[in-house]
Amino acid sequence: MPVRKFRRVEDMEAPTWRRPGDPALYRTMNAVWDLGARMSRRVHPYGVTKYSSIEQMSQAQEKTAREPR
Amino acid sequence: MDYATLKSLLAALERHGVTYAVFGAVELSLHGLVRFTEDLDIFIAPDASNVERLKSALCSVVDDAEIDQITAADLLGSYPAVQYVAPDGAFRVDILARLGTAFAFADLQIDRVPFDGLTVSVVSVPTLYRMKKDTVRLKDRADAELLKQRFNLAEE
Repeated sequence: MPVRKFRRVEDMEAPTWRRPGDPALYRTMNAVWDLGARMSRRVHPYGVTKYSSIEQMSQAQEKTAREPR
Repeated sequence: MDYATLKSLLAALERHGVTYAVFGAVELSLHGLVRFTEDLDIFIAPDASNVERLKSALCSVVDDAEIDQITAADLLGSYPAVQYVAPDGAFRVDILARLGTAFAFADLQIDRVPFDGLTVSVVSVPTLYRMKKDTVRLKDRADAELLKQRFNLAEE
């Protein structure tokens, strides 16, 4: 990742949008997801789990996320 | 979920002719705002033959008999949200047939976007914005605001 310089601290917070189809986008996805996967503490239960709504599914996933590995 | 797995999954959906639309963090990344996510969120057309194609696609990525537990009867009936986690936890797919009363597959606007040599189906940006802006999760609402600014979407 190259050095980036900002004139204002506020600018550092701005999200970086990349152009769809740009190889740089895929390189970034690859790097971010590789790092995220290595750092993630979540262990989701194996298999198929069925929910009556997306809210119920989200709640279950958040609960899993809070449980110690 | 790593990048190579995502690509394998999306390639399999295309190869098997699944009628689907990606949404969530993967879609946001495909539009240019990269977000780490552990799962692939997909809407699927809720008909039995499409669910069978989905299962074939998943089986082509991971040989797992558990995938047979995904059924059209569930997705069309009492369980419109199904989560599948691969045996080694390598990836998770969240499969939706409908989202509350607000979104059904037939109501979705679907676009085709490039993804590293593939072309894949995603819900349209305005649809993704509507999905995110009214959720309870703060990060989703923040992403909705970013989408609104980036794509000059009108306030609803």
